[in-house]
Amino acid sequence: MTLTAPRAAGTRRRPAQGRSRARETFLLLLPALVPVLVLSVGPLVYGILLAFTDARSGRNTETSFVGLANFGDLLADGDFWESFRIGMVWAVSVTVLQFLASLGLALLLNQDLRLRGFARVLALVPWAMPPVVIGLMWRLVYHPDAGILNAVLGTDVDWLNDFSVALPAVIVVGVWMGMPQTTVVLLAGLQNVPKELHEAAGVDGAGVWRRFRSVTLPQLRPVIVAITSLDFVWNINQFSLVYVLTQGGPGGRTRLPMLFAYEEAFRYGFFGYAATLGVAITIVVLAVLGLYLWRQMREVD
Amino acid sequence: MRRWSAALAVAAVVLAAGCSNGGGDGDGAASDGPVKLRFLSLAWQKESIAANKQLVDEWNKANPKIQVEYVQGSWDNVNDQLVTSFEAGDPPDVIHDDSPALSGFASRGFLLDLSGSLPSELKSDIPQTAWDTVTFGDGKGGQGVYGVPFLQESQVLYANKKLLDASGVRVPTSDAPWTWDEFAEAAKKMTKGGAYGVAWPMKSPVNKVLSLGLNFGGTFFTTEGGKTRVKVGAEEREVLSRIHDQLYKDKSADPSALGMGTADPLPGFFAGKYAMVPAGVYLRQQVAEQAPDGFEWVTLPPLKGVTAQQGATSQTLSVAADSKHPQEAVKFIAFFLNGPNQAKLAKGDWLLPTSTSAAADPAMTAKENFWDVATASAKDLVVAPYLKVDGYDEWKSKVATPTLQEYFADKISLDEAAKRLVEEGDKVLERYGR
Repeated sequence: MTLTAPRAAGTRRRPAQGRSRARETFLLLLPALVPVLVLSVGPLVYGILLAFTDARSGRNTETSFVGLANFGDLLADGDFWESFRIGMVWAVSVTVLQFLASLGLALLLNQDLRLRGFARVLALVPWAMPPVVIGLMWRLVYHPDAGILNAVLGTDVDWLNDFSVALPAVIVVGVWMGMPQTTVVLLAGLQNVPKELHEAAGVDGAGVWRRFRSVTLPQLRPVIVAITSLDFVWNINQFSLVYVLTQGGPGGRTRLPMLFAYEEAFRYGFFGYAATLGVAITIVVLAVLGLYLWRQMREVD
Repeated sequence: MRRWSAALAVAAVVLAAGCSNGGGDGDGAASDGPVKLRFLSLAWQKESIAANKQLVDEWNKANPKIQVEYVQGSWDNVNDQLVTSFEAGDPPDVIHDDSPALSGFASRGFLLDLSGSLPSELKSDIPQTAWDTVTFGDGKGGQGVYGVPFLQESQVLYANKKLLDASGVRVPTSDAPWTWDEFAEAAKKMTKGGAYGVAWPMKSPVNKVLSLGLNFGGTFFTTEGGKTRVKVGAEEREVLSRIHDQLYKDKSADPSALGMGTADPLPGFFAGKYAMVPAGVYLRQQVAEQAPDGFEWVTLPPLKGVTAQQGATSQTLSVAADSKHPQEAVKFIAFFLNGPNQAKLAKGDWLLPTSTSAAADPAMTAKENFWDVATASAKDLVVAPYLKVDGYDEWKSKVATPTLQEYFADKISLDEAAKRLVEEGDKVLERYGR
């Protein structure tokens, strides 16, 4: 733009040209914009509108606008807040554990090991599996009688049906499932840390731990912030894995908020209220994320 | 990015075209070709799937003008699947489900009221008590029949014959069943040498407890002036506290069996770890097939409290309100559930037929595999009050399941459990009354 503008004939024609440019740009954008509007913005707006109605499943139901009544019900809905608490425990612990485990794995894969390429491919395998397959596979691992876990440990625990063990057991699967993408992103970040910095720190007499803390971590920081925020959003929106593993049981101990909303809509038929839950979850996630990113930015400054 | 969007746009257009095409084909077939019905079946045992498919084949051969397509569903997610297909307006024509699920679908207008269209042979072959399990409000103040009940289940006891004989207790018969007191006594006597008298698999405790609750007149719900409330009084507490006593006072029931599903205690039962297992009559199939050689077992008739009544839930066939060929669908159901065919289906699923002519089939009263005990237990099946409660499903999964699980795990007292069932339950039900 800045290059071409001076070469344009006269100042007189510029506004018209700008307008036609804008129209051209818009026309060129259109093919990209239409699918976004139809497939993404449309349903979103519809969902938000639904949140202010009493829409219910049924052929003989009448939907009417109820204002903020759904949000009022939501504030008083103890079951939902319990589910939300579980969702936060799940999302935070999966994100943190995933990050720690992936960082370890990435550091390992960044070393000059033999068969490094092969090991890197192996670390990616969980990524290639759909969540439903992962869920089925881990259900077999956790099976109280036929499962490999009880066989190896010599225990007799019904991992997915025990009130106190179910959530941790599901969290382990969540960590396992999300590790590949976190590892890959961290590994890419590690490879961007300049070798010279490490060498300089080494010359100054810094040990391995000191170099990790003072060179690697600060260099990696933007990558860490980005991947942990993405992981958090992915994890709190997790649905398929838990649906396959426990369906929210035992007694609601693994009922993540998304599963709760799904049940409201497709099991009990309260479409309007379920949409409200979706909107509320989005707002809270955005708030949490905003706070986290804001703090990180401020620390950088 | 742009290439992606273009691809998506193309995909959307193709999809849309595909959908409208599909609709067109269906309409075309209606006018000239044979009528096509989709039959969603939930049969899952091997024999039962075979029996279902065989009956569909038989029908298709005899009725070239009405062709039925067998669609396999699963009990695990059938109700989610149905909600989406009902909302989308394209449900299967003939739907296999169970009576507790019908109430909600009926009140939302998804199912066809069959009361006027059923042939009289079918109507009179099935007793009124069974029809009551499928009669619900239509959501607009009326009543209708929203399915044809065909298979019923009662709760019986499975006992290890050796341990039963060794304990010296009176062996109950269908005419003189055990009372709950006798049962508790027998369980205590059979608890010895590392074996427990009974294993209560309570992974899904609610239907079981509510059904047995009728033994002492416990209904768990009352309706006054059109408003339904949860009730946990003295009658309702009987069965709850008796099971709890076996677990923690008599110590004749194994607490580690609580997390199990219905069929899970079987390995322990075969190994002599549990002398008795309470379960539905259908479990006879797994017991008969999986029992190791030389293992002797018996089916004991249902227990008796004040009465021997249990809540009946039945498997049902319904017609979708959105079906394009309701008359043909009803015809198919009438064929599928006639006496002889119900006997075949009941044998395949090891359940009790509702049809009186099927129940008279000699195979249904044979001593072999205790069909006689199972069939005799059908006479005490009555309509469970919870069948008619709008919002029962939500109460069950949000309130009752966790509360009962915690009560049986001895984490909360009976008073606290009762309080939660009622207070949190009323809150749930209130939403449906609006």
